[in-house]
Amino acid sequence: MRLYHFLALSGILFSIGIYGVLSRRNILGILMSIELMFNAANINLVAFNQFLYPGNVWGQGFVVFVITLAAAEAVVGLSLVLAIYRNIKSVYTENMNILHG
Amino acid sequence: MIESLVFYFLAFLVIGFAVVVVTSRNIFHSALALTAALSVVAGIFALLGADFLAASQVLVYVGGIMIIMLFVVMLSQQPTDAIRSQSNPQWPFALLFAIAIAAELVQKYRTFFGAVEARPGILPTSAPIGRLLLTEMVIPFEAVSLVLLAALVGAVVFAQDRQESRLP
Repeated sequence: MRLYHFLALSGILFSIGIYGVLSRRNILGILMSIELMFNAANINLVAFNQFLYPGNVWGQGFVVFVITLAAAEAVVGLSLVLAIYRNIKSVYTENMNILHG
Repeated sequence: MIESLVFYFLAFLVIGFAVVVVTSRNIFHSALALTAALSVVAGIFALLGADFLAASQVLVYVGGIMIIMLFVVMLSQQPTDAIRSQSNPQWPFALLFAIAIAAELVQKYRTFFGAVEARPGILPTSAPIGRLLLTEMVIPFEAVSLVLLAALVGAVVFAQDRQESRLP
């Protein structure tokens, strides 16, 4: 088992997240894909920490902050989704065009 | 050897669940698959020797974020969702773009880090992370608590019902 295996896994997970962000119509699906991308970055940080700088926990400290900020982002994003849903009765991105002009 | 087997098993699971997350027609099934994928990522953290992160991944993501997400999914469903396509017309280009990024990332990682395999013993990490957070990372630690407070207030402000509060 090498560092490369973990990095390849995180790269594949990240690109699956990119596909989800680009192809979903439902804004909740986009938020879920963003969570997948956060997790790919976390795997990357922990793997670099463990393989290149053992005996040091700076990478894992960064992951703690990423998890915290992901929680904050999810809470604000989901409350925005609820506010939008209350106004236009839809969660699809093609209907969110009231700033379209 | 057994570590490699566990790694390939977990990697297969997490990629399979992630594909279900981005392709499922039912958004509720997507949310359940995302819960499973995040739990498997906690297993990968444990495999990498990050015991504290594995525990906090389960507590914060699976126990917190996913429950909120399931609530919002259930609050915002329409009866017509099940029969409409869930991906927009440009999904083939998105697929090409994602495959290109994945191939490029994997190939570059192989070029630059293909030879690294030093792997010392696994140590407990909770005490070093706590010491790091309260000594060298104390300023970002305090800043992130302010961010959490702002997110709390923002969520309350966005989610309240303005129509009712305007009534006399």
